[in-house]
Amino acid sequence: MFSLPKLSSALHLSGRAAFAALLTASALTLTPAAGLAQDYTPDAVVNIGSLYEPQNLDNTGGAGQGINEAFNGNVYEGLFVLTDGGDVKPKLVESYEISDDGLSYSFTLKDGVTFHSGDPLTATDVKNSIERVTAETSSSSRKKSLSNIASIETPDDKTVVITLEKPSISLPYNLSYVWIVNDAATDISNSEDGTGPYQLQEWRRGSALALVPFDGYWGDKPTNGGVMFQYFTDATAQNNALLTGAVDIITSIQSPDALSLFVDNPDFTVSEGASTTKELLAYNDRIEPFNDAKVRSALSRAVNKEKLLQAIWGDYGTLIGSFVPPTDPWYVDLNDVNAYDPESAKALLAEAGYADGFSFTLDTPDYDPHPVVAQFLQNELAKINVDVKINIITANEWYTKIYKSHDFEATLQEHVNHRDIVFYGNPDFYWGYNNPEVTKLISGSESAKSIDEQTKMLTEANRIIAEDAASMWLYLYPQIVVSTSNVSGYPLNGLNSQFFAADIKKVD
Amino acid sequence: MSASKSILTRFSGTNATFWLGLLLVGTITLTGLLSLVWTPYDLSDMVAGRLEAPSWQHWAGSDRLGRDLFTQLMIGAQIALIVGCSAVAIGAAIGVTTGILAAFATRFLDDALAAFFDILIAFPTLLTAMLVVAASDEASLGTAILALGIGLSPIVGRITRLLTKQVLSQDYITAARVSGSSWPSIVFWHILPNILPFLGVNLALQFGLAVMAEASLSYLGLGAPPPNASWGRMLQEAQGTVYTAPWGAILPGLAIFALVIGVNLLTDGLRDRLDASRRQV
Repeated sequence: MFSLPKLSSALHLSGRAAFAALLTASALTLTPAAGLAQDYTPDAVVNIGSLYEPQNLDNTGGAGQGINEAFNGNVYEGLFVLTDGGDVKPKLVESYEISDDGLSYSFTLKDGVTFHSGDPLTATDVKNSIERVTAETSSSSRKKSLSNIASIETPDDKTVVITLEKPSISLPYNLSYVWIVNDAATDISNSEDGTGPYQLQEWRRGSALALVPFDGYWGDKPTNGGVMFQYFTDATAQNNALLTGAVDIITSIQSPDALSLFVDNPDFTVSEGASTTKELLAYNDRIEPFNDAKVRSALSRAVNKEKLLQAIWGDYGTLIGSFVPPTDPWYVDLNDVNAYDPESAKALLAEAGYADGFSFTLDTPDYDPHPVVAQFLQNELAKINVDVKINIITANEWYTKIYKSHDFEATLQEHVNHRDIVFYGNPDFYWGYNNPEVTKLISGSESAKSIDEQTKMLTEANRIIAEDAASMWLYLYPQIVVSTSNVSGYPLNGLNSQFFAADIKKVD
Repeated sequence: MSASKSILTRFSGTNATFWLGLLLVGTITLTGLLSLVWTPYDLSDMVAGRLEAPSWQHWAGSDRLGRDLFTQLMIGAQIALIVGCSAVAIGAAIGVTTGILAAFATRFLDDALAAFFDILIAFPTLLTAMLVVAASDEASLGTAILALGIGLSPIVGRITRLLTKQVLSQDYITAARVSGSSWPSIVFWHILPNILPFLGVNLALQFGLAVMAEASLSYLGLGAPPPNASWGRMLQEAQGTVYTAPWGAILPGLAIFALVIGVNLLTDGLRDRLDASRRQV
């Protein structure tokens, strides 16, 4: 599966399958009753199967989503944490104050936090960790969202003061991606020095990454004796490993057909969580005819997305009608906007001056589900005389041709990030959507005085992009985690590829 | 020789090989031809449900999008034959020309060309084809054919060179030269007719290779893009559903197997007949 960070990237897309369960809470009840009393083995090692091996161990060094999965919250921690439920909570921060103008944040660090090497956590470590992300050489996907920082002061060992150029209500959220790394650490591409509940025991490139509990951890001890991430290049091999007991958990199932092996099987638990992964047809909104909202709306109305979702995911997955998944605070159900209606699609197309249709090239990444989705679109759009030429490209080509050079007419991609509607506020983004109203709402929402105000502005932006049919949002992936039935307590939603392992319980 | 005995020999050994090969290749060729005028459904019609099992309505079941797999198999046969024949034709055009050229050339050019063939052969055909596709702007049926043709050409070239050299060492060539025949006339009147039977057998084998390579290219997404159907892409698309809908992978796999093994059997049979007729002479 494609992940931009792997290619030294700026945005974090990938194939992390994820599912918008209607209610995260209801999804949680699908997991077996977790750890009634002491019904687990405290020193059991949990084997986690994953398709995303990190390229290196540094999340500012183009390591890919795999490193977030293995290290976020496990080996490294941030000042804040994005919980599996989508809330932002303090982690290494004891308390913080925001100045009245919203430009200055003063953070007081927790006491008694030590790095795995034994050094205590200091304000200087925090300052340098943030600067590592914003540095010129960093390829972190969060670089841009932190570029608003004017200065970082460390008045004493326990206090960090961040001054912003403009108010930024998302600062705590953005800081949840900044790993706090020991300033004294060297070579963090191949080793680590974080504050998390686990430390790295061994990384065998190409196969596995082993984490063991860190004895000096400041918080609660993990409920297991360590985790081993085992990496597969192929989903079928990964499924087989779960079937034979070589792994205990698969972090995300890539197709509904693999599930038939595990559903209704008492040896396995299948859980659906909330996903943030959206499959979309992105037009190059800069060029004709896609610069016309009527054309885009027409195409959107010509495609039966319910049928597509059924074809790809069977009974799983959700339609959201926009780019915003239910775990983002600014979600609204927009399925009725530009809904499936081939007759009005034809009429709109005629109104836009394309009564006889037109043709365009759809650059299609070569991995599942994109080629199948492309053929579906080709069939559907042929019915309104729009001729789709499918051009299969590799993930690397996608990155250079489309993401970097914007040299395309339309493309397919899955976008994995939480809270990524902001891409529609950036006219220089690859799809080039440029609506001053949306840009203003999105950039303005950062200076909002309250979370409510921010939510209101972004909900409005969400509605406008849907009415504008800025892209064609096809469906939201399901997020399905499968484990053997003796394992529980794992995260279900896996927002932003995180996979917190400390609460996993296993009965040996 | 009695009639009963001749029937026995006809269906034993080499003859059985020949007839089985002919049956397989013939069936697939007829299917491919039939697909030009008739298929049960339209290739892109999403007429069935998701991953339906083979039934009277859909003889080979349906894919994830609900398209009829038998229709795809039929069109796939057509594409496999087109690609196989065209690629072999291109491979032969390039290979035979350079092969004969090498055989006729001066020692130095001959050595250079022979080394060049050897180097190209060291690259697997599929890898060469992938390089050619990668170098072209957009994958299409044409680029796939061209890529495979180029990939096959060094093999044909090397064999042509060797066969031509054998013929060139014969006395009747010396006689032709002495009597003043120009080299084009030697090529057309003496060399081509003499190397053709062996070359033909080899080209048939190359055809099998080309069919496999086309399936591989399509499997990797480098073949002819949709809406062209291809057995290789059918395999690729069925990969994720192999447990729930095994027919989606088994049938195109069988089709590739049948065509490749069929061509090989047919070639073996032909070669044996050729040898037998030579022995009789």
